[in-house]
Amino acid sequence: MEMHFDQHISRQFNEDLEGLKTEMLEMGGLVTSQVADAVEALANADSALAESVLEIEEEIDRRELNLDEHATLIIAKRQPTASDLRMVMSVIRIARDLERVGDEAGKVAKMALAFSEAGSAPRGYTEIRHIADAVRNMLNDALDAYTRFDVTAAMDTLAKDTQVDMDYSSAVREMITYMMEDPRSISRGINVLWILRALERIGDHAKNICEQVVYLVKGTDIRHSSNSNNS
Amino acid sequence: MTATTTITTTVLDVGEAAPNSQKPVEHPIMDTLTQSTETVGQPLCESATLRMRHVNVFYAETQAIFDVSLDIGRNEVVAMIGPSGCGKSTFLRCLNRMNDTIEGCRVEGELTLDGEAIYGPKVDVVPLRARVGMVFQKPNPFPKTIYENVAYGPKIHGIASRRADLDEIVETSLQRAGLWNEVKDRLDKPGTGLSGGQQQRLCIARAIAVSPEVILMDEPCSALDPIATARIEELIGELSENYTIAMVTHSMQQAARVSQRTAYFHLGKLVEVNDTEMVFTNPQHPLTEAYITGRFG
Amino acid sequence: MTNPTSPAPLTDKQSQVRERIAQRLGSRHRKETMFRLMGIMSVTFGVLVVLVLFTDIIGKGHGAFVQSAIELEVDYDPQVLGIDSVSPETLALANFDAVIRRALQARFPDAVGRNNRRALFSLVSSSAPYELQQQLQENPQLLGQKQILWFTADDDVDTYVKLFADNKRGHFERLSEQKVAWIQQLLDSGELKKRFNTTFFTNGDSREPEQAGIRAALVGSLLTLLVTLALSFPIGVSAAIYLEEFAPKNRWTDIIEVNINNLAAVPSIVFGLLGLAIFINFFQLPRSAPLVGGLVLTLMTLPTIIISSRAALKAVPPSIREAALGMGASRMQTVLHHVLPLAMPGMLTGAIIGMAQALGETAPLLMVGMVAFIVDVPGSITDPSTVLPVQIFLWADSPERAFVERTSAAIMVLLSVLILMNTSAVWLRKKLERRW
Repeated sequence: MEMHFDQHISRQFNEDLEGLKTEMLEMGGLVTSQVADAVEALANADSALAESVLEIEEEIDRRELNLDEHATLIIAKRQPTASDLRMVMSVIRIARDLERVGDEAGKVAKMALAFSEAGSAPRGYTEIRHIADAVRNMLNDALDAYTRFDVTAAMDTLAKDTQVDMDYSSAVREMITYMMEDPRSISRGINVLWILRALERIGDHAKNICEQVVYLVKGTDIRHSSNSNNS
Repeated sequence: MTATTTITTTVLDVGEAAPNSQKPVEHPIMDTLTQSTETVGQPLCESATLRMRHVNVFYAETQAIFDVSLDIGRNEVVAMIGPSGCGKSTFLRCLNRMNDTIEGCRVEGELTLDGEAIYGPKVDVVPLRARVGMVFQKPNPFPKTIYENVAYGPKIHGIASRRADLDEIVETSLQRAGLWNEVKDRLDKPGTGLSGGQQQRLCIARAIAVSPEVILMDEPCSALDPIATARIEELIGELSENYTIAMVTHSMQQAARVSQRTAYFHLGKLVEVNDTEMVFTNPQHPLTEAYITGRFG
Repeated sequence: MTNPTSPAPLTDKQSQVRERIAQRLGSRHRKETMFRLMGIMSVTFGVLVVLVLFTDIIGKGHGAFVQSAIELEVDYDPQVLGIDSVSPETLALANFDAVIRRALQARFPDAVGRNNRRALFSLVSSSAPYELQQQLQENPQLLGQKQILWFTADDDVDTYVKLFADNKRGHFERLSEQKVAWIQQLLDSGELKKRFNTTFFTNGDSREPEQAGIRAALVGSLLTLLVTLALSFPIGVSAAIYLEEFAPKNRWTDIIEVNINNLAAVPSIVFGLLGLAIFINFFQLPRSAPLVGGLVLTLMTLPTIIISSRAALKAVPPSIREAALGMGASRMQTVLHHVLPLAMPGMLTGAIIGMAQALGETAPLLMVGMVAFIVDVPGSITDPSTVLPVQIFLWADSPERAFVERTSAAIMVLLSVLILMNTSAVWLRKKLERRW
């Protein structure tokens, strides 16, 4: 079904919905760059960049509150139905996911700060780099699919989460091997595990966004369904 | 008189210069309306009280309803929505043959109430209308007392002859309509002296006084304020335990609140019938979607 | 955010428009005042005309409610009367004329000679002997006694007393100098007085103005109206109900509707001709009777009643009909229980308008012979009679001066009946029209 949010009789309603979507996508852009920056800070031991990531996190929290408020207002004023209702609902849910992604990016940035104080790049960096690239792409693609109401792209992106999960488990196994080999690296290794864990969570949130694209366009909620897990 | 002429022209210019964007935007969805009269969703159900098959209604030469098939189940509330002139009221009025009073109105198709034909040369409308009551858009109590309003139906149908029986019918009907406590001390006062919402509940009491099986409601709340509307909606919920209710409404929220199934009419065609939840969160037909989300209407 | 206390500056367009509006404001107000003045003038003109009409009629007609009478001392002398006992048979033969002549002679002994005596005897009305007869019939013991009685004066005397006696200016050519002298003498001595004119309300028409009354015409009018109302209201209302509530809307009902409207515009005399042809010539109904008059007026008022009744039915909100039909009431029940009670006040108004129209109608009644000279008060709808407007028409045509005031007085009576009818209509409507 084609999605048109610019054809209501009330032009104000068009603008409200369009504004909500734009606001959400802006937040998404901010969060995506935050993830990129956090990984970058980690790679380059750039404490300044890591600090800026943590600062942006507050901005993201504020945006989530704004989005919630605007969505609530639209529901109160317009009593949206059907695709309009799904649009508002998906924005609220995605905003929540994005805020969580922001939190995870913050965790990564904190680790980056810790590593930069210790003064060395951690072992397992290639795995981090690999998974970080994958989840960043997923996040980008999910938001892209949302912009274009593209269910196929969303399903493709959603499928990539399985790969991320697999990569994550193998990275975890690898880190365990390192730590068993060199007990002194355990504390640092645990930090790396934390980072990997955060990145993997970002992937999950990207997947949630994809599910919302399907919900918005198709009207079916595929969360917690086998469809979502297997494909 | 050149001066006046100039003034008039300029004033006209001012008028034309005003933003002229109030025209409804031509909607691509409007073009997607096919000629097919197929209904999306679940128009039919088992153990239906009212069964309508391939109903066509004509006003003289113009056709108002195109091949509509719909079932209304026992004690079910079915809401009919759609833009003005889509035929939903016309369809509703077929169910108790109120269209008979309109000159040149012709109804084709198979309409049955509990398996008995509604239309037909041998069918008498008087008992039919006792079985299928109706509540109208504007509260229209008779210009008589509250008591006489409710007692009118039982009287003309000879349901109760003794005063005591009549008193009991009046009381229970008013109680069911949630009006008894408000009017029990002034049954001999004119029904038209009540507030709009009370009048509408009086009309409902009047309708249920003859124990109908079906109650038709034609935009019963469109002339009422939100509080009165809420009361009527509450009442519809209670009545649906005993009566089958078909209602036409312009308020989509109302349809969403009170009905179990919602039927969407468009240009005389039944476009979609589905569970109300379904219609309002994920309608199956683009026209339904466009209408309930306020793209046209 | 704009500050609500300081309005945003006007755009050029807005200020232009405001300027134009301000420019034309003066002329708009002038036109409005003109319009209102014209309305007030029209109303004033209407009220003025009515006032002039009423003053004229009342001014001319009030005199008819009093009548001059002459006081005479009569002697019920059995010899003069030529009877010895009082009984219906003897009274019919008695010579009351002689008694009055003697009484007059006794009052004015100076009247000698044939001409003078005839002039003297014509001071009292020709009805004087009948008044005397009635007096004796009611009081048989008066036979052989003397009594002072008031006798109706002749119309010429009456006219002189009313119009000339006071200012003594004019000269009434119908009275001789001798007669005027007698009248003055009687007036000065208080033997000639204006008394309330009961004759006007108790008598029928007469050639003698002082004996003419409107009773016959009034009763004739009421009987005719009764027939009209009894026929036209039920027929008109049923026709209206059928046409409005039951008849299918097709070309036939359209034709009927157009024809009813046309019928309302047909000149009333045509109905008279119709009545003459059908009721009198074909059905052989009695001429000059209120029955035929009522039938003719029924034909005339039917369209009015049908049209107004239909309008009243149309004014009943369709929601009431829907409510009743929706309850399962039949068409007839719907009409009888709900529509008719609501339409009744309007129908009554229409009927009253029709009745008022009928009351004032002359032309069709002329054709069915209700223009006859009727002295007796009609007792039933088949008795010959006349009606008030025809009576007015007849009197207006009469040469006697005393009929002028009677014409106006009859108009006053007609107007009073009309006002009475309209008032009762308003009262009835108020009573029926319960506020819901």
